[in-house]
Amino acid sequence: MDVSLEVINKSFGSVRVLKDVSLKFPSRKFVTLLGPSGCGKTTLLRMIAGLETVDSGIIRFGEKVVNRLAPRDRNIAMVFQSYALYPQMSVGQNLAYGLRVRGTPKEARAAAVERVARILEIEHLLDRRPAQLSGGQRQRVALGRAMVRKPDIFLMDEPLSNLDARLRITMRAELRRFHLDLGATTVYVTHDQLEAMTMSDHVAVMNGGIVQQFGSPAEVYGRPANLFVAGFIGSPPMNLIHGAVELENGAPTFASEHARVSLRHLANRVHAGQRVVLGARPQDLRLVPSAAEGNAHGRVWVVELVGSEKLVDVDLGDKRRLTVQVRADAPVLEDEAVHVGIDPHDVHVFDAETAQRVSGRESAVPPFPGSEPLGRREHFRPIATSWRD
Amino acid sequence: MSWEILWRHTGRGVIFVALCGLTFVVCFPLVWALSTSLKPKSEIFATPPTLVPKAPTFENYAALVTGRPQYFQSGGQQVDTGATPAQFFTRWFLNSLLVTLGSTVISIVVSTLAAYSLTRFRYWGRTFVPYFSLLGYMVPSIIFVFPLFLMMVRLELTDTLLSLVLGYVSITLPFCMWLMWAFMRSIPIEIEEAALVDGATRLQVFRDVVLPTALPGIIAAAIFAMIVSWNDYLFGRVFLNSLDNLTLTVGVMLFFEGTHVDWGLLMAACVLMTVPMASLFMGLQRHLVAGFGAGAVKG
Repeated sequence: MDVSLEVINKSFGSVRVLKDVSLKFPSRKFVTLLGPSGCGKTTLLRMIAGLETVDSGIIRFGEKVVNRLAPRDRNIAMVFQSYALYPQMSVGQNLAYGLRVRGTPKEARAAAVERVARILEIEHLLDRRPAQLSGGQRQRVALGRAMVRKPDIFLMDEPLSNLDARLRITMRAELRRFHLDLGATTVYVTHDQLEAMTMSDHVAVMNGGIVQQFGSPAEVYGRPANLFVAGFIGSPPMNLIHGAVELENGAPTFASEHARVSLRHLANRVHAGQRVVLGARPQDLRLVPSAAEGNAHGRVWVVELVGSEKLVDVDLGDKRRLTVQVRADAPVLEDEAVHVGIDPHDVHVFDAETAQRVSGRESAVPPFPGSEPLGRREHFRPIATSWRD
Repeated sequence: MSWEILWRHTGRGVIFVALCGLTFVVCFPLVWALSTSLKPKSEIFATPPTLVPKAPTFENYAALVTGRPQYFQSGGQQVDTGATPAQFFTRWFLNSLLVTLGSTVISIVVSTLAAYSLTRFRYWGRTFVPYFSLLGYMVPSIIFVFPLFLMMVRLELTDTLLSLVLGYVSITLPFCMWLMWAFMRSIPIEIEEAALVDGATRLQVFRDVVLPTALPGIIAAAIFAMIVSWNDYLFGRVFLNSLDNLTLTVGVMLFFEGTHVDWGLLMAACVLMTVPMASLFMGLQRHLVAGFGAGAVKG
């Protein structure tokens, strides 16, 4: 069942937490609401659940407007960040509760609980109380409680944030697999971009109550719509350099105190004198041997080894730094003078005034199947213009 | 260093002995009452006094439970004293029980619902009502008792058990509500939301999720309400009049009236008065702490 949100607004007192949010989640897809804390993503999820009222706007499940429906009439299931298991009930009773209050006969209830327990491998825990379970086990019970009723829509509010790092990675894959097996529309809230990137079909990046960009993980990573998305998505984060467009031999060139990059291929998108921000991911930067090949020059400030790669922080002066990702065996020493090569085709250019993407790196993004009609164009553009509010 | 070792060895012993002494001091009146209640009349004033009765007897208890009129010896002659407190003991016991149960049930039902409302719904005044009600409890009950009595007169409820039930509710309810409010606040709202999403109605949520989780709080509040109602003397003394309607605390005082005090009977009455509350407390104290909200959310 698809979920559409049409111009949703919400305020708590004088604080506007959601501003004209419009999104359409296609049926049976895994959609993630991603953003820093306080961006309104959980409020939005709770509105879909019916736990929060809508100030203005329309929420539809399929064709049906659900604004005024109680949570119990929406055929949804929700996994809470705190798991919210019923402390006085055994695991089996926890799983069966949703069926019990809906009047499912005892035999059918037992069968459903058994089926879910088998899938989640918690059959041996059915008689225990939540207090006697580990974090991972509680998480599974919470998931089982959501699965047992075969809901149309699955809502998950940061379900992995209370697990340790290792378990989180395992559960990520499992959640994705559950989603594929169950075939329900899943709306997942997280502040962890890795979770969003790895599990989702679509990601809605939110900040300040506004949807900054809605698209496939590849799109939000490869074609960030504005400076916020560019800075938020990607680890290590994208390097952002402020500068202006100058004409060099008739071709537009990005120029700042510390770097120069030709923008010849963007000649029709930028104009001389335009103040822009250049974005370049650490993976797209190289250390080059000669000053002539380099676009920026500096001194190695610190080198961090992260497994198969090294992150080299290059100090360009004035405490401006660029992070360059190199192979782990690259011979880079701290305090060494280096030259950074920036391929013009790998950079993202944003207008410094509007913070919107000007262009760049068009071809590198494979269009994500099924994502295009959803309308990055229809949806993010009208609302993303004022992301700095 | 040697001081340290010495202290470590003797310190525990000293503390142990001190605590034993304190326990004895606290328990002695109860032990003495029990001992006296089991003594025949001849032994009660024996010198030297005995802690363990030499010839234990249950005659005092039998007199209270069966309501048998008591006679006392006067110059070798048995004299019928007419109606005695012992004859009313079972009646008073029942009265106390009824009044205590009545006021406790009303206090618990009202305070639980009020606390749920105060913690879960948004309306004007919900933040200061709990504190204000606690303040009400801190005012000595002697200040309430006469205005309440005048109200009872207007309601024509004086000398009825109902007046006492209402009187007790007026002093137990504020504190019970504050207690339940503090307790309900600590119940994570997510488990109720989970139940709502699971398909429960508000009432089902309250019955299936809130009440079981709030049980330790309810028990604590109930114990408080019972102890206050059971042990009250002031309200009973002011509100009640006829012998048939008295509660235990007021009635037992009548054992003192007249020229003669039957200490054995009085002590037996005291012991019997203590038993219900003591056994209740021992039976329920386990629930006071057990399983409070454990495992509902990330622990």
